[in-house]
Amino acid sequence: MNALGIDIGGTFTDLVLRTADGQAHRLKLPSTPGDYAAAIGDGLDRLLVQAGVAASDISDVRHGTTVASNAILEGKGARTGLITTRGFRDILEIRTLRMPRLYDLAWDKPKVLVERALRREVTERLDARGNVVIPLDEHSVIAALDTLVAEQVDAVAVCLLHSYANDAHERRIAELAAIRAPGLRVSLSTEVLPEIREYERTSTTVINAYLQPVVASYLARLEQVLRARGITVPLRLMQSAGGLMAAVQAAQRPVEIVESGPAAGVIGALALARRDGVADLISFDMGGTTAKAALILGGEASQAAEMQVGGGMLGGSRLLTGGGYTLRVPAIDLAEVGAGGGSIVWLDRAGAPQVGPHSAGAVPGPVAYGAGGTEPTVTDCSVVLGWLGPAGLAGGTVALDAAAARAAVESRIAKPLAVSVEVAAYGAIAVAVATMIRAIRAVSSERGRDPRHFALAAFGGNGGMFGPLVASRLGIARVIVPQAPGLFSAAGLLDGVVQHLASRTYKVLLTEADAATAAAVLAGLRQTVAERLTEAGLHPDAAEVQPQARLRYHGQSFELTVNLPTDHLTPDAIAGLADAFGAEHERTYGHRAGADEPVELVSLAVLGRGAVPGTAAETAARTAAGPRPPRAAYFGPVHGWHNVQVLGRGDVAATARTGPLIIEEYDATIVVPPGAAVRCDASGNVVIDL
Amino acid sequence: MSLDAFTLAVFRSAITSLADEMAVTIHRTSYSGVLKDIMDYSTAICDPQGRLVAQGLTLAGHLCSLPVALKATLRRFGNDVHPGDILCMNDPFDGGMHLPDIFIFQPIFVDGQVVSFAATICHHTDVGGRVPGSNASDSTEIYQEGLRIPPLKLFERGQRNETLFALLDRNVRLPVRLMGDLRAQLAACRIAEAGVLELVARYGVDAFAAMSAALLDHSEHLTRACLAELPDGKVSFEDWIDDDGIDAGKPIRLFVTLEKRGDRMLADWTGTSPQVKGAINNTYSYTQAATLTAVKSVLSVNMPNNDGVFRAIEVIAPPGTVANGVLPAACAARGLTGFRMVDCVFGALAMLVPDKVFAASDGGNTGITIGGWTKQRKPFVYVDFMSGSWGARPWADGIDGNANMFANMATHSVEVLETEQPVEILAFEFVTDGGGPGLYRGGVPYRRDYRFTEDEAVLQVRSDRHTHRPYGLWGGSPGAPSQNMGDPYGAARPLPSKFTTTIRRGEMFRHQLPGSGGWGDPLTRDPAAVLRDVRNEFVSIAAAASEYGVILLPSPLRIDVEATEQQRATLRAARGWTTVPPVQWGTEHGQ
Repeated sequence: MNALGIDIGGTFTDLVLRTADGQAHRLKLPSTPGDYAAAIGDGLDRLLVQAGVAASDISDVRHGTTVASNAILEGKGARTGLITTRGFRDILEIRTLRMPRLYDLAWDKPKVLVERALRREVTERLDARGNVVIPLDEHSVIAALDTLVAEQVDAVAVCLLHSYANDAHERRIAELAAIRAPGLRVSLSTEVLPEIREYERTSTTVINAYLQPVVASYLARLEQVLRARGITVPLRLMQSAGGLMAAVQAAQRPVEIVESGPAAGVIGALALARRDGVADLISFDMGGTTAKAALILGGEASQAAEMQVGGGMLGGSRLLTGGGYTLRVPAIDLAEVGAGGGSIVWLDRAGAPQVGPHSAGAVPGPVAYGAGGTEPTVTDCSVVLGWLGPAGLAGGTVALDAAAARAAVESRIAKPLAVSVEVAAYGAIAVAVATMIRAIRAVSSERGRDPRHFALAAFGGNGGMFGPLVASRLGIARVIVPQAPGLFSAAGLLDGVVQHLASRTYKVLLTEADAATAAAVLAGLRQTVAERLTEAGLHPDAAEVQPQARLRYHGQSFELTVNLPTDHLTPDAIAGLADAFGAEHERTYGHRAGADEPVELVSLAVLGRGAVPGTAAETAARTAAGPRPPRAAYFGPVHGWHNVQVLGRGDVAATARTGPLIIEEYDATIVVPPGAAVRCDASGNVVIDL
Repeated sequence: MSLDAFTLAVFRSAITSLADEMAVTIHRTSYSGVLKDIMDYSTAICDPQGRLVAQGLTLAGHLCSLPVALKATLRRFGNDVHPGDILCMNDPFDGGMHLPDIFIFQPIFVDGQVVSFAATICHHTDVGGRVPGSNASDSTEIYQEGLRIPPLKLFERGQRNETLFALLDRNVRLPVRLMGDLRAQLAACRIAEAGVLELVARYGVDAFAAMSAALLDHSEHLTRACLAELPDGKVSFEDWIDDDGIDAGKPIRLFVTLEKRGDRMLADWTGTSPQVKGAINNTYSYTQAATLTAVKSVLSVNMPNNDGVFRAIEVIAPPGTVANGVLPAACAARGLTGFRMVDCVFGALAMLVPDKVFAASDGGNTGITIGGWTKQRKPFVYVDFMSGSWGARPWADGIDGNANMFANMATHSVEVLETEQPVEILAFEFVTDGGGPGLYRGGVPYRRDYRFTEDEAVLQVRSDRHTHRPYGLWGGSPGAPSQNMGDPYGAARPLPSKFTTTIRRGEMFRHQLPGSGGWGDPLTRDPAAVLRDVRNEFVSIAAAASEYGVILLPSPLRIDVEATEQQRATLRAARGWTTVPPVQWGTEHGQ
């Protein structure tokens, strides 16, 4: 069993090949936008040679990709049409009206994915129970289709009012489309998201239609690249929710894979937690422009019901939505802030230090890269403090100009504030850390979970450097930095299981829920899930299948998910469910209503998942590199400058030693603060106890 | 800065995110639609003197309300504040806003001393009074508007004030919902308490107080630095509200004078109409919030929300005017006046800094309330606030389908609405030719058509910009007026901009928002942009010719370049401008 994980980001393509004995081989190379598969083919050829594995011996290929999200962000999806109920074609453009910023006259809505002329109306109407109020006028459907065909659309989304309660009209439109416009790709909202709330359902369906042609052709090209090298095993993709799906499904439901790369990192952290017996973990993924956090509780990654694609960074509260494209599909609850190594450090007009959200990006990058950057960044501050060393980054391929970094921090920050350059650099990093903390609080304390009860899994190129600072600030006692943190998402792919979630709205007061209706809805969902699992190579009998109910107090707008012990909503089961919901409400929000408060069922769902014959756990690579020259590093006004030992990961022993210490790797640098205990565990993780 | 700048920056981030966390808590735990979808609430951390230190960013209109209300409450209680106390109030004439806005304050103690107040304000669905929703624009005195709560203790040393709870329970139409929303406010205060105690544990009581004060100083410096960059000057602007719904057809004058000197600004509402009978009288803090909303929008995007900002921008609102009503003024629907004051200040700012300010937006939201009783004698109250578009900007078109700057409100889901309320929505769509023509076009309005499905209810509508349209700037034309219509698919009866009426099963009603104003000469708009607007039916072929001077040919739709040049020359000659008009209102403006 040799498993291959491929993670494509905007800048780099990461490949990890894990062989049957648990050995990992890794490769990082620049992505090839335009034809992302090219870098994969190139990298694969090199990696196979490096690992001494024949292509035909690859038993499993798993993929995380930014192709879908890039298509949305860059507006490069298909020319898409939309068919709606008459009088409601502007739902997509009016959105929720909400904007992500106040007091900003320069704000603009994201460009609507289907312009108004391509949003066509049909005559029909259902009521909230799914009863037909106005029958579907097929002439209006033909007219709409003809217009869209004449406009040369590549894909059509269909979203009618209340279709979650009755899909007949949408299905009939699909039938007519097959006759009138054979070959046209049609996404029905009742298939993509049979749930109440027309804007979210329309937006999600439109994005699905918009992505289908792009993702389908990308996946076809990728399979061609793999097949040309003799790799014929099925390709599976990581979903935003953290489960794997068959490539053929991803081509049908590309909305599921928009955040596949970041999700893979969290799944890697989840596997780490399971392997090392840590139940509760916060993942902290910090790269060049952003820091992302997710919560793992009781061995499960927290899920969000909805996300915004391209909404920009989390500025303050997550309440300020509307900055991006709304996608209502299950996803790992990731909070992202604009604080990475490239984030620019600046002084506002009243002289207060600020970090980000502007980033120097990959080009020109930090001042220390010597590629034209003039504004000091977080990375420049790390250079000033001696945390990043003279050897440079990526095994020395990126040299660091420490003098330039120092000059920039000095002139832009230290001088105006009349402090020393190291105090300025350390202070700026403290401000950056305060921003990163907001991401972690967003997934923990804002969800009613105390971060102090969690360990922090820190990865990404900068996770090991800033993770310990973030942790100590939040009262988190332990930081775990996995092997090859800079390629952790690619490795995380290999830890994923096949997973599908299907849901459907059945909105009724819980006490009035009809057992037969609920059972029928759940049976349909079970069938959908079984089909998708089978397609992804998992026999449904081997899967763990969990029916769920989404509940709220009548009048609330947010549901909580509660597991159903049975598909049969007997009066006893309903009473138990109401109680379980109250308990979950109290756990999440700290209070629950009285027993006489009506509980409402909004949707039913079925979650199915299971491991496919997969991959061996990764073994620890223990190559002692020997100590490198020590260097001076600064740890704040209390600890001051230290002459700090610099080691490779292989040199860190199982028995703990005390920081300060710097661990340099090919793809990352770990900074162990003074007084912290650091050791390497059996899995090769660096464990820092603060 | 005497304190370490970096420590202070870290503290600012922590306390601001705490206020945001309070806001998240209310959003996630509240019951009513007004809170969950419309976000008509705010949260804050205040210092022991009642000064605003950090506010959760939800509703611009609440910006100045919390410190004013808290200070009034502290005047009432003085030192009689103890651990376990929860204070509440809603009285507009004792620091409040309008009756549905209930304030909850929790003192946070360390070693027997108050170190902070957690502060929340929520717009509750109903607080009693003569009309469901307690929002009527046609009340004529505060006593008709619902339960008036002076500063009182909701909890005293941890004990529920059962008298007050019982009184609330009997005087509001939906007590379960009100109690649920109050619980959300209390939950937010608990989050604040935990967070403040954590910060005090880290920094110590004295440093916590010093940093809170330094935060306000920083905001003041920042505001003054931004103000100093604007040109000095004294400008005035006048705008009119159609009427108060009682004295129908009698316009109400809004008049502001901005005086900007060096690093300070003075906004004076002297000259604004005396308070009116209808319920659109502001209280002071709302006028202050409206003024600051516009001024902050031309300063800096990163401007904090706290008392330091208020120090640099002084607001004068003479008592007894609609800018600052006195007892017994009715004020439930004062939202209208607040929105329009934002437009008025923007208008004045446009005269001061023309390249930074947009034309008039749609004038803020229309409030629609449908309330009554089902056959089973169960009450229903449906409250909808609609807003829709932005004025055209000096660099781009106005935004179509977007919340107003003053109230970042979301729209209700039609599907959820139809499952929960006795209402069907028959159409919810943009209106052609609604946006004010200009070099940059004003945002287009939308309309909503309703059909009522219970036996009987009271329908109450508060809208405006019906006779006084959203102004265009620097040659741009005004937006289309708002419209109310009964039986839109039949007799199409025009209705006034404000009314209260009985509605019966099957009856239909339409509200169409006003369009926003245009910016710059429409005859200089890029014909390709006009073509795009026609293709998307934001602009009709006829209006393309009459307003923009662009002549289009059909199938495929394209520009007739020669005819367009000719048409533009004709229109230019006909309108006879010698100088570009700074402000355009259309007809019937003023008196």
